Amino acid sequence: MTLYMVQRCLFDHLRRLEAAGDGPKPDIVVEGYDLTPEEEKALLEPDIGAIYAMGTHPVIVNGFCRALGYKRADYRPLLENAGVVPERKKTRWQK
Amino acid sequence: MAEIVMAYSASHAPMMTADPGSAPREQADSFFGALEKVRDRARELDVQAIVMMTGEHFTNFFLDGLPQIAIGLDDAHLGPPEVWLQVPKKMVPSDPGLAAHITASLIEQDVQPALSYGMKIDHGFMTVYYWLDNSMDLPMVPIVLNCTTPPLMTIRQFHEFGRKLGNAIRSYEGLERVALVAGGGLSHFVGEPRVGDIDEEFDHWFLDILAKGDLTDIIDIPNDELMEAGNGTGEIRAWVALAGAMNDAPGEVLSYVPVYEWINGMGVVLYKGDREATAAAV
Repeated sequence: MTLYMVQRCLFDHLRRLEAAGDGPKPDIVVEGYDLTPEEEKALLEPDIGAIYAMGTHPVIVNGFCRALGYKRADYRPLLENAGVVPERKKTRWQK
Repeated sequence: MAEIVMAYSASHAPMMTADPGSAPREQADSFFGALEKVRDRARELDVQAIVMMTGEHFTNFFLDGLPQIAIGLDDAHLGPPEVWLQVPKKMVPSDPGLAAHITASLIEQDVQPALSYGMKIDHGFMTVYYWLDNSMDLPMVPIVLNCTTPPLMTIRQFHEFGRKLGNAIRSYEGLERVALVAGGGLSHFVGEPRVGDIDEEFDHWFLDILAKGDLTDIIDIPNDELMEAGNGTGEIRAWVALAGAMNDAPGEVLSYVPVYEWINGMGVVLYKGDREATAAAV
């Protein structure tokens, strides 16, 4: 329903993973959040590209990818294929 | 009164402790060599406590209540929450008297930080702090800054915050030797299609500014333009605040290496302490 709910769901999931420490990793819980079927599907698959394209904060996307076991920029192709390409602008430090 | 006997800013890529061997050897030697130099200097100066600033990563706060600046006020703070960071979990001691004094002094100077009890200190702190003191016994007052979620405080406002933070530390009567530390930056992109890119041109430009001690070119940069160097690059707010606290003295760039394996421009800039800077100016 709202982007906030998607982000809240991911934030709560990341906190549960921290609390689990080295123990078994809990699955993401989508019940209790006001989510559309598309949002729920993206979270459960998980579909990183779709989660990013919804507008999820990149720090949360990054934390979720790390929790899924991605290292470095290994998840970059999933984001590049999400269809949201930020426009590049000229900056004062570019020669 | 407390003296800021040294200050430094350093990048805090999680991989620097999670998988340090993944960086090319020469780059790792350069960056870690700089952190060792800083650590040796802190031991030589017998630093009693540090005040450390870094960006908030949704470790302590979320979108339902995200302060621009928050100060940890406990006797000790638990770090790090990330089990994969390869840094042991520990209640890191603080100096609650210093934390309370900084908070009160900032409020008197028209800065209103959030008060935080139960603050956790994540990789933003622990990567750099662990290299400073791997026994993790050196007291640390943690300050988190909003560096990624607009609308953000401007660079100029963080510079002014830093100046006032410096005043606050220097007016504390409970300690004599305090170090100020900033963690974060340099250029990096996270959770977006450019993840893994490093804007080396930006990093060199920014480090040159700090080395000259003249922030004119960056002080009024709009956040949208700064974000062109990476959506994590806003963490340089901590570096700018530190420069403000050190009265824009020229910093010594001890290392800069673009470590693509760590998806981060990695740098260390060291500043002279108050007494040393005054002596050098005479």
